[in-house]
Amino acid sequence: MTFDIYLIFDSIPKMLAGMGMTLQLLFLSSFLGLVLGIIILLMRISGRWYLSFPTFVYIYFFRGTPILVQIFVIYHGLPQFEAIRDSVFWPILREPFGCAILALTLNSGAYVSEILRGGYLGVDKGLHEAGKALGLSTPHRFIYVTTPIAVRLAIPAYSNDFISMLKATSLASTITLLDMTGAARTIVAKTFAPYEIFIAAAIIYLVMTWFFQRGFGLFEKRMSRYIKQ
Amino acid sequence: MVVLKVFAVSLVMAVAFGLIGSSAKLSKNRIANKIASAYTIVFRGVPELLVILIFYYGSAITLTSIGRAIYPQTQFVDIAPFWAGAFAIALIVGSYATETFRGAFLGVDPGIIEAARALGLSSLHTFFYIRVPQMWRLALPSVGNHMLSLMKDTALISIIGVEEILYVAEMATAVTLKPFTMYMIVAVIYLGITTVITFVMMALEKHSNRHLAGTR
Repeated sequence: MTFDIYLIFDSIPKMLAGMGMTLQLLFLSSFLGLVLGIIILLMRISGRWYLSFPTFVYIYFFRGTPILVQIFVIYHGLPQFEAIRDSVFWPILREPFGCAILALTLNSGAYVSEILRGGYLGVDKGLHEAGKALGLSTPHRFIYVTTPIAVRLAIPAYSNDFISMLKATSLASTITLLDMTGAARTIVAKTFAPYEIFIAAAIIYLVMTWFFQRGFGLFEKRMSRYIKQ
Repeated sequence: MVVLKVFAVSLVMAVAFGLIGSSAKLSKNRIANKIASAYTIVFRGVPELLVILIFYYGSAITLTSIGRAIYPQTQFVDIAPFWAGAFAIALIVGSYATETFRGAFLGVDPGIIEAARALGLSSLHTFFYIRVPQMWRLALPSVGNHMLSLMKDTALISIIGVEEILYVAEMATAVTLKPFTMYMIVAVIYLGITTVITFVMMALEKHSNRHLAGTR
């Protein structure tokens, strides 16, 4: 066995092409997951059982099963039903990309809503009462008082979830998508040099993780600027 | 239930890695410190799937070339995917456990450790009889979460060909042509196992905090 360092440099351009797919999956599904998470959170704290009970079941299911199984249920499983093959969603669900986005979004929605709930519960009750005393309406109180503080409290947990999402995108390679892991696997199948290629991919993932962590760190600092004064 | 076997094997290894890693991080030895930091950064930043692939294919190619050097007619040697997968998962979860245990060790009252020293316990005894039990109580809630993610990571080893539930479901799909039903059964099995883990962890937490009952 030889460890060919030049192979790493040769494979990096091919893998950077896969990185585009990874980033697309990451940003699209985290954005949609964030939107979904907010909706789920609002349903959950609404205090009406017919809204909060479905969210409970949803969160329980998506946090209790592996993402890989969720991806397989959606990609391999849904076409079993004729109704889905005839529906308007079929053009999206037929493509592995659409399935990966759907699975990652549903998964991240469940986690994000829990994270945001943690932030929401961490907001001091006194602030809420103060808002009420100042005569702010419920939507105003939610937008101007609760949200900024809840967001600040939720950032550390959210950045962790974002990193796990980055890692979860590698699972898209199992449903034939050529993300970075998928690209690496194809190159390995051709060259049979697993160490060089997979380690090169691992280094790119590490750099991306570091980059996002820095970004969230700076964002958190900015959101906490009221504490220092 | 191959999944439960992988779970048990890698849980034991992950706790061991966590204890070694956290002691290395807290020790005054700078080299041990650096190695432990590198370990947590790498294994927490690289996707689980990629780690499993590196271990499985990497070990296969290494062993094959060693085999060829000794006995030139060797075709292909690999370690059982079961062990490659379990080891890779254990290293990943171990890196998370390292951070958890580190925090928990710091949470142990230094007075207790000094008391143990004053009673003449060696540092090895102090570690296993005083520090570990004390820190365990603080680490339990996070350990529960790590166990859940470990359980869910076991699904990944079907990719390197271990015949666990997801793999069996794939086989069954080829026969029954009902993929949704098959994969949903897998999901429900996982849901059942994670629910059991959650309840066990709740009971364990209650048990480990029983000395606090009545206070507050």
